Amino acid sequence: MKIIKSLLAGASIALVASITQAATSGNTLASVDPEADRLALQSFFQKRFPQVPVDDYVNGIYALDSGSRAQWEEIEEFPPYEFDVEEGEVLFNTPFANGKSYADCFANEGVGIRQNFPRWDDSQGKIVTLESAINQCREANGEKKLGWKKGKIAQISAYMAYTSRGNVFDVKIPNDGAKAAYLDGKQSFYTRRGQLNMSCANCHVAGSNVLIRADLPGPALGHVTHFPVFRSKWGNLGTLQRRYAGCQSNVRGVSQKAQGEKLSNLEFFQTYMSNGLEVNGPGARK
Amino acid sequence: MNKTISLVAALMMVSGSVAAQTFDEAFNAQRGMNGKGHSFTFEGQSYTTDHPEEVAAAAPANVANATNLLADAKAQYAKALEVDFGWTLTKGLLASADKALQAGEFRKSMELSARAQYHSRMGVAQYHQSQQEWLMAVPN
Ligand code: HEC
Repeated sequence: MKIIKSLLAGASIALVASITQAATSGNTLASVDPEADRLALQSFFQKRFPQVPVDDYVNGIYALDSGSRAQWEEIEEFPPYEFDVEEGEVLFNTPFANGKSYADCFANEGVGIRQNFPRWDDSQGKIVTLESAINQCREANGEKKLGWKKGKIAQISAYMAYTSRGNVFDVKIPNDGAKAAYLDGKQSFYTRRGQLNMSCANCHVAGSNVLIRADLPGPALGHVTHFPVFRSKWGNLGTLQRRYAGCQSNVRGVSQKAQGEKLSNLEFFQTYMSNGLEVNGPGARK
Repeated sequence: MNKTISLVAALMMVSGSVAAQTFDEAFNAQRGMNGKGHSFTFEGQSYTTDHPEEVAAAAPANVANATNLLADAKAQYAKALEVDFGWTLTKGLLASADKALQAGEFRKSMELSARAQYHSRMGVAQYHQSQQEWLMAVPN
């Protein structure tokens, strides 16, 4: 309670004060420079944690906190998501009522393609995450949509990530539509929300590896690479946007809708930040 | 614990005050230091550290005032949701305010409504402030 109060005090002081330094990559379509953003974020973390190789950021907080790393490595020896991957494979290969299957909806029959999501879809004029592509595939084949945050969709996504392990994230920004989505996601990431008045960046950039109550937020770099994640706290597998909603309500803000435009743009931004890192999903977390 | 303190410090460091204090800044600083019910002067005028919602909640406790305050609080919450900056506790506060009103507990209801309204006013303020400030938090 004391700590919450001190956080609130810090937050309200910060809300009062104005801010001096400006970024070079801007807040308009003309001035935003995604590649400069990505390199700046990488260099922020390299300066902050010089001993951590960039490739290790795919391991989240365990890249920074040696204390919990050993425990985590032990968990990964008998991964709790193992059955989900197997279940996901079965689901992925089970034909729809019309005889078609997921493989018909994706490039390379859906194998080894995780690194290309989320992607900008020109015809829909929006970002399509892997999970929304899975549900679009179902609907196009006359099947009902799956729930967004856990269960079957997470299992299918886990299997697709598993077949992509070792591939390098390569999210593209082909045009201004995509750039606008990126910019919106970037803004979301740096925007303070909720009663605690904190942004994702407060915890996952400035606050990474800094204790917040009993928790250590991990680095934003590599945030997306290992999703979906089997979280001990959940007791099951969940999607990235399930996690987003959790972090938003942890700062006592009303969370945004899973797979709505806002969170999908946020995921697009975050994935672009992790371009160049390897897919290592699914993962296990506390 | 030390790590927590340094996060608060980091949050404050990001922000460095430059311009002269606005009224809101002065109010917030006084409120932060002294809590409610305190007087201060700003540019020669005297003010109190009470939020407008607290003033409203101090009106006579009766059915009309409690009903109005709850309606105002609900309207303000709708505004916060409209800009997508609702806070999580507000909905529960509104429900409890409603319940207290039904039970004839007008003072309690007014206090709950006032808190809900305050949350929502702050959510909207946060939305506007974030438009100005988010870019400054980006590392470069
Ligand atoms: C109050 C601090 C705080 C804020 C604000 C916050 N998070 Fe988190 N977040 C955490 C903590 C603590 C964890 C668990 C430790 C970890 O893995 O980082 C976490 C976990 C995560 C994870 C999972 C990381 C992993 O390795 O599996 C993601 C992704 C994430 N947050 C994204 C976000 C996004 C996006 C936002 C903004 C909408 C946000 N967080 C806001 C504290 C925060």
